[in-house]
Amino acid sequence: MNAKLKETILNPIFKGNPITVLVLGICSSLAVTVTLKGALVMALSVIVVTGISSLILSLLRNTIPGRVRIIVQLVVVAMMVILVDQILKSFEATYAIDKQLSVYIGLIITNCIVMGRIEAFALGNAPWPSFLDGVANGAGYGMILLIVAFFRELLGSGTLFGFDILNRFGYVPNNLVILPPFALILLGCIVWVQRSIQKDLQEK
Amino acid sequence: MNTNNNLYTVIYTTLIVVVVAALLAFVSQSLKGKQEANEKADTISQMMTAAQFGTKAEFQKMGNAAVLRKYSEEIGQAFTVNTKGEKVSDLALEKVYSPSELKRQNYNIKGTGNGEAELPVFIFKNGITVVPVYGAGLWGPVWGYIAFAQDQKTIVSAYFDHESETAGLGAKIKDDPAFQAEFNGELADFASANVFEIVKGGSPKNADGSEVIDNKIDAITGATMTSNGLDTAIDTWLGAYAKYFQGAAPATRNTCRCSACPCGETCTCDCHCPEKTEPGCNCPGCECKDCDGNVNHTEE
Repeated sequence: MNAKLKETILNPIFKGNPITVLVLGICSSLAVTVTLKGALVMALSVIVVTGISSLILSLLRNTIPGRVRIIVQLVVVAMMVILVDQILKSFEATYAIDKQLSVYIGLIITNCIVMGRIEAFALGNAPWPSFLDGVANGAGYGMILLIVAFFRELLGSGTLFGFDILNRFGYVPNNLVILPPFALILLGCIVWVQRSIQKDLQEK
Repeated sequence: MNTNNNLYTVIYTTLIVVVVAALLAFVSQSLKGKQEANEKADTISQMMTAAQFGTKAEFQKMGNAAVLRKYSEEIGQAFTVNTKGEKVSDLALEKVYSPSELKRQNYNIKGTGNGEAELPVFIFKNGITVVPVYGAGLWGPVWGYIAFAQDQKTIVSAYFDHESETAGLGAKIKDDPAFQAEFNGELADFASANVFEIVKGGSPKNADGSEVIDNKIDAITGATMTSNGLDTAIDTWLGAYAKYFQGAAPATRNTCRCSACPCGETCTCDCHCPEKTEPGCNCPGCECKDCDGNVNHTEE
């Protein structure tokens, strides 16, 4: 694997993370991080959508008329999102989670990460790197989602993936943690930690 | 190739939309059966939760097949009634009312639909009657199931669900067991237009601090719109069921005076309510004798 491809994969995970550095996809990261299970399904869905739409659009990139390229991108992304939603609804194991995530699966269409990566990367690069770029950005997003969900489920419900962790020790679940504002506070803390490690992100 | 040519652009976009639409239609059709099976098991587990056969989480763990099996073991009768309380038809075992079907009936109840309301009644073998309610919350529909004891007016328990109410606020109608537990033991007032009330403060308190058993429960703080929506949903639906429940209530022996009897005789009849004066009450079994001792008319 050459250095450039490696950079494509690793950059979105930490140095150029879509949530903490680009500050994209904040809305859904506040809404779906109440439980780890929900966050995991959301993360996987976004990975599938960004990866495959980047792949498809990269394959089509030389044929897409420039004036309607955003519309073509939207059609492809919307198709992927609907496919993911339909598939989640069809399995017993994911039906309840799909219901819990409700509109947020559909709202992946409006997640700036998806369109952003297609505009910035997939339309100018070969299919394989584009696919990896999409997957890596989805993973960078998913990683932050899981970190936030870990703290919110642990402190807000006293469980992890539905298994009792803290409640058996007499822990009283904190209701504030369940509410979206706490996710914002937690995200702020993550950005703070990242900026103190990565000094070049700090504004003068 | 000039990709900015008008004709090319039109043909290209048309082609891509047609291909995507065909693919989605195909996927949607082929997955429809599975999705409906999931929705049906979900609906049944909501009804069974209301009828106190277990919690929603337990049913989720059981899996679809086990939920359906348990339902077929426990269900006694399922039929539909109209708003006059008359039975319309029996429901097949596999027929349950999905939220979309409830939505259709909701229009029918309000008289803005395209037919007469056919409301489902599910009577389980343990004597509990479960009926659905449906209405508008803040962001989308709210619905649920209310289970009544054999006296046809005491609420055993209730389960509510919603499409997109605010997490932590309106979503409490589904997620907060304490809210649903408030319904347990309350009485629906089928004689009034306000069958059940979700209001600030809930029931008045007795002198010893316990709650008066009535048709009021406390609304959810910070979720006024959802509470009001659910209140309207319950009033609308239980109002539509009122005639059925009043008719199905166990008969009470009651004495009523036959006004047409010149001698002012009284007779005993089976009355579906404790007081003859209650609105909507009638005494179909009442036979009055005239002064010569002949039965000459029924009911006053």
